[in-house]
Amino acid sequence: MLVFAASDKGGTGRSVTSANLAYHRALDGDDVCYLDFDFGSPTAAAVFDLPDVLSEAEGRGLHSYLKGKTGEPLRVDVWSRTEHPQLRSRPGGSGRLVLLPGDRTGGEFVTDDENLHRCVDLVLRLKREFDVIIVDLSAGRSYAMDLALAATSPRGGLGRLKTRWLVYHRWTRQHVMAAAELVYGKQGIVQAGIAMGHEADALSAAIRFVRAAVPNLESPLWSQVSPAQYAWMRQCDTQLEEIAAGRGIGKTRVLSSIPLEPVLQWQERLITDEDVHDRRIANVETWQKMGELAQRLTDDKYWGQL
Amino acid sequence: MGAPGKTTDAVLACGEVRTCLLPTREAVDQQVAERLLRLRADEPVRVSKRPNRYAVSPDVLTGVDCRLPTANGSKVRAVGTVTSRAALVEGRVLQATAYFSAPAGGPDRRRPWGYYLVRPGVLVPIGKVSPRAVAEGFLTRHHQDELDVGSIAEGQLSRISRLLADSFDPPLTTTDTRVRWAASPASDGDEPPLRFTVAEDGLRTLDLRLPPGTAPAAAAALCEDLALHDWLLTTVVDKLDGLRLGSADGKAALKVLRPLVDHLLHLWLPKARVERPLEALWDALEQEPGFSRQWETQVRRVRDQLLLQAILTQREALGASLTTS
Ligand SMILES: Nc1ncnc2c1ncn2[C@@H]1O[C@H](COP(=O)(O)OP(=O)(O)OP(=O)(O)O)[C@@H](O)[C@H]1O
Ligand SMILES: [Mg+2]
Repeated sequence: MLVFAASDKGGTGRSVTSANLAYHRALDGDDVCYLDFDFGSPTAAAVFDLPDVLSEAEGRGLHSYLKGKTGEPLRVDVWSRTEHPQLRSRPGGSGRLVLLPGDRTGGEFVTDDENLHRCVDLVLRLKREFDVIIVDLSAGRSYAMDLALAATSPRGGLGRLKTRWLVYHRWTRQHVMAAAELVYGKQGIVQAGIAMGHEADALSAAIRFVRAAVPNLESPLWSQVSPAQYAWMRQCDTQLEEIAAGRGIGKTRVLSSIPLEPVLQWQERLITDEDVHDRRIANVETWQKMGELAQRLTDDKYWGQL
Repeated sequence: MGAPGKTTDAVLACGEVRTCLLPTREAVDQQVAERLLRLRADEPVRVSKRPNRYAVSPDVLTGVDCRLPTANGSKVRAVGTVTSRAALVEGRVLQATAYFSAPAGGPDRRRPWGYYLVRPGVLVPIGKVSPRAVAEGFLTRHHQDELDVGSIAEGQLSRISRLLADSFDPPLTTTDTRVRWAASPASDGDEPPLRFTVAEDGLRTLDLRLPPGTAPAAAAALCEDLALHDWLLTTVVDKLDGLRLGSADGKAALKVLRPLVDHLLHLWLPKARVERPLEALWDALEQEPGFSRQWETQVRRVRDQLLLQAILTQREALGASLTTS
């Protein structure tokens, strides 16, 4: 399965959540690769705790590959290379977890046929080697996104691969509206897709939203707030739900809602079982919700036309 | 092989083999294999049924004019053509190879293309080169602006993958392997005939000493055979290592083991297409690291696991019928 991670705004939690998603799929036995297509600000190396990879990827990353500067994009085996103390040995029953980092320099670039062919060839190759391919796109309607839409269009070469889109947003009015606009707006994913030959219904059936860093008012985190604060936040939450529903991104289109996690507020990282159960630094809900997102990603029940 | 009168002065042959599972649900029949491998209209796909089912595309030549990698970093420009081809073993495993041979010296100036085209598969250096430096550089170095035969081989895999884009459905995920090889004529010294290494990024290298006069195509065939078996072994070891042992979930184990039995275990057949004088090199690998010995061990592990699962399933079924009756 090919998965594109998109968001309208920067800093939504797209990269960190997608990396955790990749981690959970691998724990469940899938062979997973994570492609950092966010050419502006590649962060995956940091999330997977691979400090040397940033400089290693210089001239050998995905950006260089797509431009034809290297025939072989760098691959990094996360289990064997990570400096995260709890991840260093591949857990029994888990699949491969491989990062294809982006180049640090280079920024965005224009898509042309050459790029497109390279992208298609790479994905076809990775499809032989991995069960799940997660592609982290840049924020907004980026060139990376156009490349993804073009490659997966019926005449793009990847039209027959099972493809799913995750659109991340935070739980605020601005973010909800922006995410809806990114998907359904005039310049949005669906319209852009149609222009490239996608079938509108099929494309929107393959898009789901992920709410990131959502405050859960019932969690102990908020147990100290005053009744007035609590009531106000409840009201906000209800209003947001209404706005979301009104813009076509209500609950039925949400694949998962990831709670606000203090550990992630402090550090971009993978949340492990140990973090939750032994060290008790992360909330168990976060672990469970990441797992739920990973399960639902491939569960057809949560996908298709509504 | 090669152009008449050329092989004698070639002192080096180098190439790269890429091996992967053909990404179709089932192995393909001979007809499909021929369609996938028909790289040229003017030459047929060669097929054989014995000792196993095998189909190989006609050779394709790619013109190159670039720097050769050298161990000592000396700058050597070479011009000529690289031979590439793709092959299917039992309609299941796909291999692509790109290789060239090179003489120790060539004209001091770049000649017109005609000069190089009558020497198919030969890269002619401009001036003199040290064959050893090129062989070592080829195996260990890789620079962006230097010859990249791996990309030529990969291009063949990509072309075939694109033909299959609509029916892409591999029964198991496997890692592609890359085997880079360099063959020099054996001298009277007692260097080992073969050195096989696995680098950190998964790249395999084969440093070969072959009987003088060995055709580059024969060296390429030997390396393809070694690469195929290395890939089989790597794939099965990988799958078994990923197995959660002692897990109660027999279904998960079966999901991993079944495709191995269905698609891979019957493919082990060393030396199927290796010329007689080169069989000794295979034998060297059988000594150390002992390819077939390792394979037998893995196959036994697969069978033991399957047996265990069968017993457990049976016991469960028995238990279930006891409680319901
Ligand atoms: N569930 C969460 N709870 C709290 N903080 C989070 C959560 N998810 C992500 N964060 C934090 O939010 C910040 C932004 O996340 P991330 O880098 O994943 O966003 P992004 O959408 O990929 O941004 P960019 O567009 O810059 O690539 C990070 O510091 C991250 O650790
Ligand atoms: Mg990011």
